[in-house]
Amino acid sequence: MDNQQLPYAGQPAAAGAGAPVPGVPGAGGPPAVPHHHLLQQQQAQLQAFWAYQRQEAERASASDFKNHQLPLARIKKIMKADEDVRMISAEAPVLFAKACELFILELTIRSWLHAEENKRRTLQRNDVAAAIARTDVFDFLVDIVPREEAKEEPGSALGFAAGGPAGAVGAAGPAAGLPYYYPPMGQPAPMMPAWHVPAWDPAWQQGAAPDVDQGAAGSFSEEGQQGFAGHGGAAASFPPAPPSSE
Amino acid sequence: MPDSDNDSGGPSNYAGGELSSPREQDRFLPIANVSRIMKKALPANAKISKDAKETVQECVSEFISFITGEASDKCQREKRKTINGDDLLWAMTTLGFEDYVDPLKHYLHKFREIEGERAAASTTGAGTSAASTTPPQQQHTANAAGGYAGYAAPGAGPGGMMMMMGQPMYGSPPPPPQQQQQQHHHMAMGGRGGFGHHPGGGGGGSSSSSGHGRQNRGA
Repeated sequence: MDNQQLPYAGQPAAAGAGAPVPGVPGAGGPPAVPHHHLLQQQQAQLQAFWAYQRQEAERASASDFKNHQLPLARIKKIMKADEDVRMISAEAPVLFAKACELFILELTIRSWLHAEENKRRTLQRNDVAAAIARTDVFDFLVDIVPREEAKEEPGSALGFAAGGPAGAVGAAGPAAGLPYYYPPMGQPAPMMPAWHVPAWDPAWQQGAAPDVDQGAAGSFSEEGQQGFAGHGGAAASFPPAPPSSE
Repeated sequence: MPDSDNDSGGPSNYAGGELSSPREQDRFLPIANVSRIMKKALPANAKISKDAKETVQECVSEFISFITGEASDKCQREKRKTINGDDLLWAMTTLGFEDYVDPLKHYLHKFREIEGERAAASTTGAGTSAASTTPPQQQHTANAAGGYAGYAAPGAGPGGMMMMMGQPMYGSPPPPPQQQQQQHHHMAMGGRGGFGHHPGGGGGGSSSSSGHGRQNRGA
């Protein structure tokens, strides 16, 4: 399958194709094949992410609510910075702790896609800026990063260099014929099952596996706690567990 | 637990070092927590620049203020004083974050279930334990919970992986060729947690979280 080869074998081809292909195709014809596949791959990655999050949310357990990824007191302070905010129910910071985690994960995934297009392994500020510029729902963040940061780098695999952020936004819609921004819930499934997206290896999908390979029992426990909270709950019901812990 | 204090002190000091003053620090979530979550979205060999971490840190605060402002406006229109979870979900829908609402509804439902169990003095061990402890001992309960998770982790790992991935091609991911400094620190902390007296990395995580809570109250 073409998608199977795209992440590595396809990258040079995409880069090569990106250079001569104009940022805004004059005709309304379909975009170049590598461009199309890359966009499709990105959509599939984000859909896999959301499908995973829906599964994960159903597995939340008591330990999840005791060991938040983010400090509730700080979230409450940020909420209260708005003078109009008077009282906040106990569940609000708890819900925000999860919402912020989803927000950070989505923003980071979209930023990483930009770093990959520029063939870098280090996420930079301008990758975050590009993700914000490309995503409608992140419009409220445009003031967080300077406009210049959002400009596409020359030689980008997607060939957006000529247009800049505004051009990129304008070009992507009609040229690609795909919804570049938030894929709607009802969007047709990608050609391949989400779980077959090749070469996408984020930690959230692997759970604790990478730490297991490193042979650090302690790290594994911590990751296990985050990734397998349901099993932690199961452990609580084991008769021998409490004495061992004590 | 002096050891736990030391562990939790590290991230706090780091966060403090990054920001100019305690007041300034209150405007953002701790950069260590934000960074840890970012890593979960990236391949193992990816690196994150300090600028990117700080930018996401600012974006998260803006996200909280953005959603809270919309929810607060709704409460005022309806002459209510308290913002609750449903108000936040409504605000997210209104502001275009529809994808977030479904997982968060499940999450909120679970939270309310567990709160209900606690209030009802459920017969489950966790519920009973939570109901019977006084506030100062809650941290101990949290540590105990972490210990349970740690105890279960070795056995649960393979099963969990199978359930999560459901695809043999992900069964054995290749080990990352290179590790970031922060990853090393993380592993080291976990390793210490795994020794003798402490119940494991999970316990360490709990302690760290508790430390943050204590510091915030003190400030």
